[in-house]
Amino acid sequence: MPRRFLAVLAGTLLAGTACRGNGNGYSAAEAAELSVRAQRLTQKLAAASADSALGEPLARWILPPTMAEVSGLALLDSTRLLAHNDETARIAVVDFRRGVVLNQFSVGETGMRGDFEGIAVAGDRIFLVASNGTLYEFAPGEEGERVRYAEHDTRLGKECEFEGVAHDSATASLLLACKRVLKGDESRLVIYRWDIGRRALVPEPVISIPVEEVIGANPWDALRPSDITVDPATGHYVLVAAQQRALIELTPGGEVVQTRPLPDAHPQAEGVAVTGDGILLVSDEASNSAGTITLYRWPARTSTRGTP
Amino acid sequence: MSVFTRAIDLLTLGSDRPIRRLIAYYVVLAAVAAALAAIFPAADRLLLGRGITLPEASPIVLQDALVATESTADALGANSFTELALTTALLLLGTLMLMLPVSWVYMSARREPGHSQAVAQTLLILPIVVAGIVLIVRNSLALAFSLAGVVAAVRFRNTMRDARDLVFIFLAIAVGFSAGVQTLAVGAVLSLVFNLVLLLTWRYDFGRSALAPTASSQWREPLATLATSNGNGTVPDRDIVLALTPDKVDLLADRFERVRDVLGSDRKKPRFNAVFSFTTNSIAEAQVLVQKVLDKMTKRWMLDEVVTHSGKPSEVYYLVRMRKAVSRDDLLTAIRARAGDRIGSAHLELGEAAVEQQEAV
Repeated sequence: MPRRFLAVLAGTLLAGTACRGNGNGYSAAEAAELSVRAQRLTQKLAAASADSALGEPLARWILPPTMAEVSGLALLDSTRLLAHNDETARIAVVDFRRGVVLNQFSVGETGMRGDFEGIAVAGDRIFLVASNGTLYEFAPGEEGERVRYAEHDTRLGKECEFEGVAHDSATASLLLACKRVLKGDESRLVIYRWDIGRRALVPEPVISIPVEEVIGANPWDALRPSDITVDPATGHYVLVAAQQRALIELTPGGEVVQTRPLPDAHPQAEGVAVTGDGILLVSDEASNSAGTITLYRWPARTSTRGTP
Repeated sequence: MSVFTRAIDLLTLGSDRPIRRLIAYYVVLAAVAAALAAIFPAADRLLLGRGITLPEASPIVLQDALVATESTADALGANSFTELALTTALLLLGTLMLMLPVSWVYMSARREPGHSQAVAQTLLILPIVVAGIVLIVRNSLALAFSLAGVVAAVRFRNTMRDARDLVFIFLAIAVGFSAGVQTLAVGAVLSLVFNLVLLLTWRYDFGRSALAPTASSQWREPLATLATSNGNGTVPDRDIVLALTPDKVDLLADRFERVRDVLGSDRKKPRFNAVFSFTTNSIAEAQVLVQKVLDKMTKRWMLDEVVTHSGKPSEVYYLVRMRKAVSRDDLLTAIRARAGDRIGSAHLELGEAAVEQQEAV
């Protein structure tokens, strides 16, 4: 009896593994579905009004369990998006227009664990930020690869708890959004700048504005940004705050363009990205259901700094 | 299972010592887990709290939540029914394997004889149920509250006979939890350390009052006195008494304790009041003859012990309840008359109650 049971168990395990397939290419049905998805997104994008209000989502991709702890987002190019896990430095390259995880790789030869909060792409380099302000720099990897990294200490761990990072091409620097000010005035929204060329921090915050001013008429007591990105069309800084379910748009000078609640379908918005053709992407960490990436039509504005 | 037993025998060189066999069990279990993890990389995830879910090979076509409804499997974090069923089955099997040695220790390592079969079975079943509940409730506050409501509606009241039984139950719950959160490694260490500590405390009688003498320490002094030539009677086998090792003193002390329990003055109406012993080279035949006399001349008797020796006569001991009318000499004479050619020496040791009885007569 035990032998027979073990044989059945082993057989089922093998079958389960085999059923997952080797992952090379798509089946005919999948290829057709992906084609339909691309067309559907184009149609929805054209049909969506480019006003200031967020309309209905264009798509909402349900992420696999291995990406349940999805945190930051960063655009690799016009179709590919980088998403990373909160606790493990595992990066997924996602074709966000068709809803496909193209490949996944890990940072560090032994698979780093930590509290990773945001990701940014600057040219051919990728930066991952931990909540203590440490930056990890690495190059994109192939499927299953473990890439080597360089570590940069911003020395801001005692100043701030960080939750987001973005690449600002205009100043060739990284923007570090402070979720919670640990030392100093807690009632201010603070964003630091890290110079990529010098691999060094710009000592003074690039933005430090009263939180009240940002909140405006919204019914929030505080504002804890969970990610930041730069709108390539306008150069504006776009932030999300998971706790308040807030979406904020600021000019590089620190003027508030808009602050609005996110739709209810965002239980824990941990990442944000904006494409050049006006798609806003918001990632949500899994809570009662799976992690997701949601696409919205992002209001088109007059470019103040040119489209990258 | 016989392969498993053979592996344990191989590791312990056939030793019966419980600690060795226990460690060997865990070594074999670890080897099986390592082999399983080597063949199926997903298996080691159960030990480390990451679940069996494998990172899927890319590309992965994602589901659009706006087009299709979210499936239960997505909510549970498992890719398929097979995966979910396998995860659960492996976890529960692992729990059972970890609790088996705990139940063995529960049944064996105790000073007082007897254990509760219900508790022994509970030790195997409880962690499986706990693991199942944790697997279901995990990550769901609503389910956790529902469970609390259901449990509150059912009354569990049971008084444990031994406080240590309660500790075993707590351990069963802890191992169940570790399986439920898919961290069997913690459960394995918990089970191993618990068993080893318990066996060591049992082996060294930890917690015994230093003032309470053990059976052997109680009898060591009288035995030494026996072996000393002090002019108070003769010691037939003085050299043997002097040559006794501590283990043999323990064995002898156990026997003395048993006899004293039967013959001692503590009991008001002892069931037996004398010990009859004889030596013989033909045990079976001598026993038949002696027992016929005992049937006839004593109130009751019971065979207590047969001690066989190589190279010298064996010893046979009977517990006897003497009749008032039959004296010590009467009985010994009758036995000599009936079985004299089969037995060597014969002794009848009267307990205090019997001596008083004989004196009264």
